Amino acid sequence: MSRLGSAHAIRIQGLGHTYPGHSAPALRDVSFEVARGEVVAVLGPSGAGKTTLFRCLTQLIAFEQGLVELAGRRLGELHGRELSLARREVGLIFQQFNLVRRLTAEQNVLAGRLGRVPAWRVVLRRFEPSDRALAQASLARVGLSDQARQRADRLSGGQQQRVAIARVLAQQSALVLADEPVSSLDPASASDVLDTLRGVARERGITVLSSLHQVDLAIAFADRIVGLRDGRVVVDAPTSGFGDDDYAIIFGRPRRTANVPPGQATPA
Amino acid sequence: MADWAGRAWPPETADLGLLLLRAAETAAIALVGTTLAAVLALATCTMAARNLTPSAFVRLPTRWLLNTLRGIDSFVFAILFVAAVGLGPFAGVLGVALHTWGSMAKLFAETIEDVPAGPLDAVRLTGASRVKLVSYALVPDVLPGLSSIGLYMLEFNVRTSTVLGIVGAGGIGLELKNSLDLLNFPRLLTVIVIILLMVTAVDQLSSRLRRRLG
Repeated sequence: MSRLGSAHAIRIQGLGHTYPGHSAPALRDVSFEVARGEVVAVLGPSGAGKTTLFRCLTQLIAFEQGLVELAGRRLGELHGRELSLARREVGLIFQQFNLVRRLTAEQNVLAGRLGRVPAWRVVLRRFEPSDRALAQASLARVGLSDQARQRADRLSGGQQQRVAIARVLAQQSALVLADEPVSSLDPASASDVLDTLRGVARERGITVLSSLHQVDLAIAFADRIVGLRDGRVVVDAPTSGFGDDDYAIIFGRPRRTANVPPGQATPA
Repeated sequence: MADWAGRAWPPETADLGLLLLRAAETAAIALVGTTLAAVLALATCTMAARNLTPSAFVRLPTRWLLNTLRGIDSFVFAILFVAAVGLGPFAGVLGVALHTWGSMAKLFAETIEDVPAGPLDAVRLTGASRVKLVSYALVPDVLPGLSSIGLYMLEFNVRTSTVLGIVGAGGIGLELKNSLDLLNFPRLLTVIVIILLMVTAVDQLSSRLRRRLG
């Protein structure tokens, strides 16, 4: 497989995109790489291009310039069946969870198997015991075994997003892309979901690229932060070295520390 | 009118058996026609829905076909089919099926277009093929809505089918026309009462089922 030839899970070079009818590009000359097993946060204010980047990586939009490789496969070169085969290698997590609302939690997790299960089994809902066991184990890993038969639209937001993580686990993807996975959640559920995602990534060596707009969450979650502003990469630093000056570059204003109102911070 | 109504009493019950058989034929025309239409509509509705068929090359011709079918009334189709396949309920079934196919597929497609895009994207991006996507992620979401539309169309078609016999396409409409032509008002009254009872019963049944689905 060509995938063995590449040390990087994601390689983005000179990626640029302008939406029709807009004068300013949504992404300009974006380049960075993500190593296998690395957990990377794309941090930026809203409108910085995070969602556009995500939509380019998932090929929900066809980008105009640049080169993107996921797991050694170049995007844009695959069509039809080959594209479907490539897609099942990449797990996705969305801001709005995107569970099928009338299916149970467990059926939503089984959806992660659809790329590998024969069509007749899907139509008749006759999954192999091994697929069902994998789905149950995935739900157990995110702590939702007791909700397996609950309809997705009856779960809380945090629970729905954990079902979405279980779906990615059932998909057995080595690479997960997450677009603002916690921006619809309350702070407690948000750190809970990110902890779960980081935990499974560590255990299984999964590469994760996630967009986030809260710096505290990004620092707690990622190994590295790629800062995006006005469609450009303005910061690319390991989380350990991420400082207030990096914050200011990304968000265009000084970082306010929690509990300390602006202007009262003691000078260093 | 009062004179006619007076001459219609009491209703004639001599060939009640035949009239009930004709009423059953009417209900059967509606049921078989609607079922055929449902199969054809299910097969074509995804091709008319923008979210599942972004390609205009497939979607627009499908829409044109469906709009044409919808634009021609079952009654008009029945007249054509009586000429083509001869007198009898088969012509009625074909007429009902073709017109209903157009209406039903259009309503199905609109229901499908209202499904939120996110979950469908999520399932498609796991590498699921179109068949898997539709059967696993779309059907559970739209099934109650589609069933409700199907029942409504059935209810509507029972009413439509009562008059198909007038053009010779089977059912109780034939007896309606005969009784009127012979000025046999007591028999006409019986026919009308049977039609009213049948239509009311089907309406009640269907609305009760639809309330359960909703």
